[in-house]
Amino acid sequence: MAAVNSAVNSAFGRRVGSRPKIAARLAIASSLIVLFATFAVGQNARSTESQVKAAYLYNFGKFVTWTDRAGNSDTFQICVLGKDPFGRVLDSTVKGESIDQKTVRVARISRVQEAAPCNILFISASEQGHLSAILADAQRMEVLTVSDMPHFAERGGTIGLVNHQDRIRFEVNRNMAEKSHLVLSSELLKVAVRVIQGKPGR
Amino acid sequence: MNTLVSAVALLLACAGFFTYDQITFRQGLIRTLSAQAQIVGSNSVSAILFNDPQAAASTLAALQGSQNIVSAGILSSDHRALAQFSQDRREANVDIPPLGPGKVQAYWLRAGRVVLVRRILSEGRTVGFVYLQASLQELDKRLKRYALIAVGVLLISLAAANLVSSSFRKSVAQPIIQLAETAQRISRDKNYDIRVSSPAERNELAVLVGSFNEMLGELQKSHDELEQRVAERTRELVSANRELEAFSYSVSHDLRGPLDAINGFSYVLLNQYGAELDGQRRELVENIRASARRMTALIDDLLNLSRVTSSAMRLEKVDLSEVARSIIDELRQSAPQRAVEFIAPEKTEVVGDPRLLRVLMDNLLRNAWKYTSQHASARVEFGTVPENRRTVYFVRDDGNGFDPRAADRLFQPFQRLHSAAEFPGNGVGLATVRRIVQRHGGEVWAHGAIEQGATFYFTINSSRGLG
Repeated sequence: MAAVNSAVNSAFGRRVGSRPKIAARLAIASSLIVLFATFAVGQNARSTESQVKAAYLYNFGKFVTWTDRAGNSDTFQICVLGKDPFGRVLDSTVKGESIDQKTVRVARISRVQEAAPCNILFISASEQGHLSAILADAQRMEVLTVSDMPHFAERGGTIGLVNHQDRIRFEVNRNMAEKSHLVLSSELLKVAVRVIQGKPGR
Repeated sequence: MNTLVSAVALLLACAGFFTYDQITFRQGLIRTLSAQAQIVGSNSVSAILFNDPQAAASTLAALQGSQNIVSAGILSSDHRALAQFSQDRREANVDIPPLGPGKVQAYWLRAGRVVLVRRILSEGRTVGFVYLQASLQELDKRLKRYALIAVGVLLISLAAANLVSSSFRKSVAQPIIQLAETAQRISRDKNYDIRVSSPAERNELAVLVGSFNEMLGELQKSHDELEQRVAERTRELVSANRELEAFSYSVSHDLRGPLDAINGFSYVLLNQYGAELDGQRRELVENIRASARRMTALIDDLLNLSRVTSSAMRLEKVDLSEVARSIIDELRQSAPQRAVEFIAPEKTEVVGDPRLLRVLMDNLLRNAWKYTSQHASARVEFGTVPENRRTVYFVRDDGNGFDPRAADRLFQPFQRLHSAAEFPGNGVGLATVRRIVQRHGGEVWAHGAIEQGATFYFTINSSRGLG
């Protein structure tokens, strides 16, 4: 507050009188409060976005069939690779939920090689740098690769979360799904904002 | 009456059928809606989960083809509409009541519409709701159509029934009734000429009618035959009677001649030459005279009887009491020493032939006089006993009476219940009485007992057949 006062003083360039001083302080205080509020709301908005993305992550599991490893384990694993943008949100979203009678668990991993037991692998934007390598490895593991980094689906990811008309939507890359031996339900494709068929890159 | 019962029965049957149909149709409609809701719901899971209104709308679009769906919508779990459509542009948001916690689906009937709401589940959790609103117009239309059909069927069937019934009446019931009426008429009028007209078709009824007519023909024939026979017999009887009467008359008449001679000559004998005859010879002649007298009496009576039988009757008013009194006077004059009390009503008027009635009363009273002669005093009574529909007249005496067991012989000619020694007479009197009574269309009978007198009853029924 003191820093603000001095900043305001120097901004106005002269010492402020007592009554105009109080008014000015009030004005500044209220605008700051508004700013904080906006920031807080923004934080909330951002939490909502995480919640939505977390929900999507969980929901994807309902519309994808893991052909090779059906019935192998009794847990459905959602893994986060790289810097975790969800925090507690993901855990609370999937708490007590199940997919196909399999309890849903969340795991955070640091290397793609650890993704073998994962059904869904969320690749954090932090891993943009070595995406191709990650994808190359992930492909062999029959895992659904999801990310919110830009152009993820184009670059070889299976499902890329995008912001479309102020909403969280997603793009689907059917080729990658096929390569990963995953069967995507038409229900999923129906709601995808874009479905990519054919080889990426070229 | 029958028509009314049939109509009511038909209507009841129709009502039952239609009610059942309405119920099952509505149930079918609900089932269809439910199925549609299920399909739409399960196809909208991803749209709901990924918040995609367009996908939801395109799923709903499939329902737009369905005829009777007025509006439909997909709602999120907090009842916010993700997508909806309505056939009726004017209709705003449909008010969807919340679904109870345990229920997956529910429906409400409102204002000619049915609203069905169903939970959309994914992995056992409610992710949203789908609602469908359908119009029950079809139901109403159906009902109206059925009502029309029912009325149509009713009218047609009633008309058909009427036709059948009237044709039946014409060909069966009518001829039978006619048959019955004809039979009644024949019995009533005794007219055997009537025949029943044969029905148009040659069916069992025609056979019946034919047989009936045949029977009537036979009846008529035998009736005619009987009439003929009766007429013949009557003719025979009449002629026999006539012959008999003529015979008895002529005989009696012819017998009189010689009798008169016997009477006359025996009288002359007695008169002229009686002085010369001694007692014994005189007695012989007296005997001849006595027998001749008896014979004369008998012939007189026979002549009377035949006259009574043959002569024509003249009907006049006759006072029987007066006739009785005059006869009693005669009798008193002939035997003044006798003490006989006579009782009769002041006036007893009947209608009949005066001569014959006099003969009747004469015979009865003389009998009464005769059969009380052995008693010191006698009482003779003439009177009437009014009965229900006729008057019965009687002559009573307190004389010797007769054995009631022989009552049936009383009125037969020449049948005497007493010997000539006891009471003179030739047994024709009562036969004459009977004949006279018969000619007056009445009856005669007697009651009596030995030593307790006798009562002779007779009726005169002048209104019935006389002769």
